[in-house]
Amino acid sequence: MKINVVKNVLEANDARATENRKKLDDAGVWCVNITSAPGSGKTTLLEKTIPALNDEGLKSTVIVGDLQTTRDAERLGGLAVEVTQINTEGGCHLNASQVAAALAGLDLRGLDYLFIENIGNMVCPAGFDLGEHARVAMLSTPEGDDKAAKYNTLFQPADAIVLNKIDLTEALSYDKTRLFDDLKKINTAAPVFELSCRTGEGFDAWLGWLRAKQTR
Amino acid sequence: MHEMSIAVELIRRLEELAVEHGLLRVEAFTVRAGVLRGIVPEALDMAFEEAARGTVAEGAKLTLEITPARARCRLCNEPFAPTVDSYLCPRCNQADVEIVEGNEILLLSLEGASTNED
Repeated sequence: MKINVVKNVLEANDARATENRKKLDDAGVWCVNITSAPGSGKTTLLEKTIPALNDEGLKSTVIVGDLQTTRDAERLGGLAVEVTQINTEGGCHLNASQVAAALAGLDLRGLDYLFIENIGNMVCPAGFDLGEHARVAMLSTPEGDDKAAKYNTLFQPADAIVLNKIDLTEALSYDKTRLFDDLKKINTAAPVFELSCRTGEGFDAWLGWLRAKQTR
Repeated sequence: MHEMSIAVELIRRLEELAVEHGLLRVEAFTVRAGVLRGIVPEALDMAFEEAARGTVAEGAKLTLEITPARARCRLCNEPFAPTVDSYLCPRCNQADVEIVEGNEILLLSLEGASTNED
């Protein structure tokens, strides 16, 4: 017997993501899902961003995904914000159920931002809605100037793009124009923040974007 | 290997549908996936074979149809087909698009032996 159906295979994830977004909306928390390759500087970006927002009275919490270890959570633990570590035990991306479980253990009252640091991977996280309000695709100069073209499914839906480690541009002969030429064909809507987490260069624009998103 | 998560979700849907329609086992099924999902057919086959062990869908034959992407320009509303390396709107030359098709993963049909065919 053959049965015809038209069923969204990821309906469970999508439904959970919608619930997560509703919960965050109700609490007035703005959520950003940060995606990149391993080593682009997601954790370092948060180490710099969260204290800067905190200085302005804007409170954050972090959900950090890793295949193994709690090292990122330990690094972020020094920031005096609540950090929830999700270990995916080999899973290559976070899903909305994992985020829902993390949210269940969080008191969202008084918070302005939820940062979700996704698994370092430029392919799989792109396909899974977590319930975020915006998605940031991050890359860094040592990765080469062709990454946006090669992994355009990560960069095309991004609401903002962060290019980190611009202090190394010269040493690496990084050709920024190649990246920008590629982005002209992939995503002209997302702002690109060129910054260095090490020197702090370019951070003002990035923080300004985050500030403008929290409209409560 | 996002194929494994997709295989696990597929099996959940197959299990639900098998109960709903009284199937003892699922022998074959068809999935339509948008090209932007980046599914590698061999990887999905392998992941499914592994994940389906001991379930109602063990050994079922998976037919995968990959559909092209379709986009709509957010600035001028032009519908167009993005290519593998460009989302540029042919009318206004900007890449600010809504993906209309290309991200879906749909289970289209399943076949199996039902309880009342014994």
